[in-house]
Amino acid sequence: MNSKTVVYESSCVLGLTTLMGAGVAIGSERAASRHATATERGTAALRSPVTWALLGLIVQRPSYGYELVQRFERTYGEALELSSASQIYTALDALERRALIERFALDAVEAAGRQPKPHYRVTAEGMCGYREWLVSQVHDERRRSRLFALQLALLAPQEALAVLDRYEQACLAEASGTPAAGAAGEGSAGVLSRLVLEDERLAIEARLAWIQYVRVQLQALLPSQRNPMQ
Amino acid sequence: MTLLALERVSRRDRRGAHERMLLREVSLAVDSGELVAVWGPRHCGRSTLLRVAGGIEPPDAGTVRFAGRALEGSDGALGRGIGYCSRGRPSGEAGGVLDELLMTQLACGVPRTQARARSLTALERVGAALSASRVLRELDGAEAMRVAIARALLLEPALLLVDDPIRGVDVGARDAILALLRSLTNEGIAVLLATDDATGLSGADRALSLSRGELRGLASPRLAPVVQLRRASG
Repeated sequence: MNSKTVVYESSCVLGLTTLMGAGVAIGSERAASRHATATERGTAALRSPVTWALLGLIVQRPSYGYELVQRFERTYGEALELSSASQIYTALDALERRALIERFALDAVEAAGRQPKPHYRVTAEGMCGYREWLVSQVHDERRRSRLFALQLALLAPQEALAVLDRYEQACLAEASGTPAAGAAGEGSAGVLSRLVLEDERLAIEARLAWIQYVRVQLQALLPSQRNPMQ
Repeated sequence: MTLLALERVSRRDRRGAHERMLLREVSLAVDSGELVAVWGPRHCGRSTLLRVAGGIEPPDAGTVRFAGRALEGSDGALGRGIGYCSRGRPSGEAGGVLDELLMTQLACGVPRTQARARSLTALERVGAALSASRVLRELDGAEAMRVAIARALLLEPALLLVDDPIRGVDVGARDAILALLRSLTNEGIAVLLATDDATGLSGADRALSLSRGELRGLASPRLAPVVQLRRASG
């Protein structure tokens, strides 16, 4: 496991440097925030999840602007909505400036009779950066969970318990509205749906288990709290 | 219409000197044709909730009403409109599936020919017609649950209590089991299921949680909001 990690990281040194310069949270958050102060153009765009979601589409296959707008909406749907199509073009600029993608010319036969439009494909650096960004999500998720726990803990125990009840109801409602992973169809689209549904299920289950734990801890803080097991 | 109503129901476990609250003042109403799912971790009181709701175990305090009548003190509640499917396989694993269903009815005095026809119909209804000639212990988790549901349906229940319907069921087959339960609610049967897997909540009209015997969530069906009518001006 360790040796694999070492090999993987060393092969991505160039990509990591680029990404760190762009303010992406890889490694310690403090280091990332130092780099985030850079005023280079495109830095903000590279922090946007839209940019990385777009890079994923280009990793999947080379494409051009308008097609990417359509694929973006089709692939991500409500999970990541565009405020406008121009977001895609801004993100393309940012990715290209960082050499994570590059323009290329269609061959003469394919391009014949068509209006020339810039096509984009991922570079080796972009491929590496995309992998790193995916892995870095674990930090984001952890930070989100930690932040929620800290914010909840600011409340008095009784108030926190009331919020926790409502939070639990929201989780349960999410779970009842989520189809089982087996409902996904066949083929690659079915596999993709199953991955998403199973991820959602596991996340909700983990939240529900966490809520149970927090409730017990908070109840213990209440004055003259009876032992719930008695 | 409220079919099942638990009102401040408590149940204690008294094993040896140690006493533990399994259900603590639980209130819950389930309407006909409603699918209510209760999620909770192990040992939270899920199975106890179903057993008390079905009249298998009496509550230590509180009231359980089914179709307006208190279950307390009444015997054989399961045969009078309540079906119960516990997790795992039906009893008599060495026996055949059809025999299992036949025995349930023969014990109630149903003639053999009629019992056989009803058994096959019930198996077909739950999508387990091909399991009729098989042996219980050869069934996988999903098949066993379908057979358990078929057996419960023989009692023509208005309420079906289902304990851990997707435990031991392959991921790919779970939705089909849940879809089966949902389809029963479309026929007007109320389903109260308990699960420790968030997938089991999928498609429920109401999802509640049970922890240390305390039930949380919407205890009765959500009613449409009351809107004050205003007299039209002019």
